[in-house]
Amino acid sequence: MSTKDRIIFEDVSKFYGEILGVNRVNLSIPPGITSLVGPNGSGKTTLMNLMTGLIRPTQGRIEVLGCRTNDPETLFKLVGYSTQFDALPKGLTGFQFVNSYLRLTGMDSRKAEQMAMQAIERVGLTDSASRNINGYSKGMRQRIRLAQALAHNPQVLILDEPLNGLDPLARSEMIALFRWAAEQGSYVLISSHILHEVDVISDQVVLMSNGYVVAEGAIHAVRSEIREHPTQILVRCDRPRELAAKVMGSIDTIEISIHKDEHGLLLKTRNADDFYLALNKIALNGIEIESVAPADDDVLSVYEYLIGNEEVAR
Amino acid sequence: MMQLWQAQVKAVIRLELRKTFFARRGLWIYFLALLPVLLFVGYSITNSLQLRQSSGIARRGEKPLAYQDLLAVHSGMTKDEVIAALGRPPVVFHWDDRRDDESGKATSVKHEEYRYSDGVNDLYVSLEDGKVENTNLQEGYNLGRDSIMFAGVFQFFFLRLAVFFGCLGIFMNLFRGEILDRSLHFYFLSPIRRDVLMVGKFLAGLVATCVIFVTSELLQNVAFLWHLSPAVRDLYLYRNHGLEHALAYLGVTMLACVGYGAFFLVAGMLFKNPILPTAAILIWEGINPFLPALLKQFSVIYYLKALCPVNIPTPPAMSPVMALLISNPNPISPIIAICGLLVVAAIGLYGSSLQVRRMEINYTTE
Repeated sequence: MSTKDRIIFEDVSKFYGEILGVNRVNLSIPPGITSLVGPNGSGKTTLMNLMTGLIRPTQGRIEVLGCRTNDPETLFKLVGYSTQFDALPKGLTGFQFVNSYLRLTGMDSRKAEQMAMQAIERVGLTDSASRNINGYSKGMRQRIRLAQALAHNPQVLILDEPLNGLDPLARSEMIALFRWAAEQGSYVLISSHILHEVDVISDQVVLMSNGYVVAEGAIHAVRSEIREHPTQILVRCDRPRELAAKVMGSIDTIEISIHKDEHGLLLKTRNADDFYLALNKIALNGIEIESVAPADDDVLSVYEYLIGNEEVAR
Repeated sequence: MMQLWQAQVKAVIRLELRKTFFARRGLWIYFLALLPVLLFVGYSITNSLQLRQSSGIARRGEKPLAYQDLLAVHSGMTKDEVIAALGRPPVVFHWDDRRDDESGKATSVKHEEYRYSDGVNDLYVSLEDGKVENTNLQEGYNLGRDSIMFAGVFQFFFLRLAVFFGCLGIFMNLFRGEILDRSLHFYFLSPIRRDVLMVGKFLAGLVATCVIFVTSELLQNVAFLWHLSPAVRDLYLYRNHGLEHALAYLGVTMLACVGYGAFFLVAGMLFKNPILPTAAILIWEGINPFLPALLKQFSVIYYLKALCPVNIPTPPAMSPVMALLISNPNPISPIIAICGLLVVAAIGLYGSSLQVRRMEINYTTE
């Protein structure tokens, strides 16, 4: 992939006076859903604002699909950004808000109206489109901002905490929408506190802490890089005690515990690949194995290993 | 590309006008624009009542009088001579006064006051013991005097206060207001060049201020002329440059909006607190007459004063320093004034375009 197909951060730092925003960030973000994960103040929003030219880097270079961030005319044809800022232009209805944005792109009124309605429909706000946005609930404001961000069908969707304030049904609808956009080849960047949702929707994650990128990539790859924490594997089987004895004898395990329901065991090992090979042989000896799954190969575990247990919603 | 920019500018103007015209925090601007209109409406009503009273007095007079007849009466004339010239007075006041003569003896003095009118102008004649002591001719309207009064209100209230503060309220808020409302990112996240956005916002501010203040100026003219009879109004408008003056005032108002608009647009981007730049611009405009010739040219009032159609005469007793505030000792031609003002505005807009490109959205530090 060339730099024209990626979102590139090259040695990017941003300081607000003496306060660090982000420091020496190097990223190359491919298509799909990328989640920015980190505690409050870790630099997620700063990274998004840098990507959209709302703030300028103190040093370094940023390119979004080959486009520099100081050229809004080109950049925002490619990018739609749903910010965390809650203020919306006063006195507009939901429809007027999205429609005005499209008119700013230079679109004629008929096309703008059509696309605005489509976007509003996509976020499920058709019934409230003619209502003044000042009277919208938090969730509705979140959705109308989302409608604005995706109204012009951008290739890159940047969404700062897009699931905040949404009820469970709306959340799952929005997640489906992000997935759909990613399947169309879009770049969907999401910042979120809610790790189990990040885990479900992300193709790759960027873990941030105190302005630094701690890790990036597909979650499995990131987990496998964390060597100081042994891999946890959950095996569901009919005779867990027998399996535990055999495993102890054959591979280097750190800890094995039998599951409460006596139908499985949880083991910790520094050499997962050896364990999987050994398990194949053990299975041939008559123990019926129902499932084998890594127990800490998710964002939550990776987050805890790398960042710790700071302000995070599970 | 030009077509795209035009469409974007129109979209910005549409959004901004809605905000500017219907903003609750901008209501004071309408009040400011309405104030001189109310002044002239009041002036017109007072004059109309006065004229009605004068024509009533004229009707009650023994014979119809002309303006020249009123001028014929002077001090020293006898009561009979006055009555012979103007007829029996329609309004008379009289009273007696006791006064000591040279020998210290108290004598009675008979006072009379006659009031005559030709229907427009009133003559007050004061008599003592049957002799005219003094006369006072009050003119119903004096177009020369009234147009100087109009010029005074225009230059000292309308331009320097109403338009100045109105432009401050509208142009300063174009960017600063959005930063305070935390809504500027709506524009900054659109595929529109920042300088095109700046032009759109400036034009929206210009349309809003021109609509408000040109309408005010138009209404002031209507109110100013309303009490005049159709014949006098025609005389003023078509024979005495009245129409020319009215158009000039409208043009100066528009140019004031351009000049002050550009000043306040750039000030709104450069300063977080509007009080400092406002005070600085107000002082700069105020001390303009005392500045060296080169510096004078970097102010808006310098050009606007040169374009005002009526010069306000300096009262004879006024000190030379104060007189500078009223008159312009080195007037410049209207063409130079218009070009100069547009150049000053262009410099302001260029500064704004540089600033808007550098602007960052960082509401928390505002």
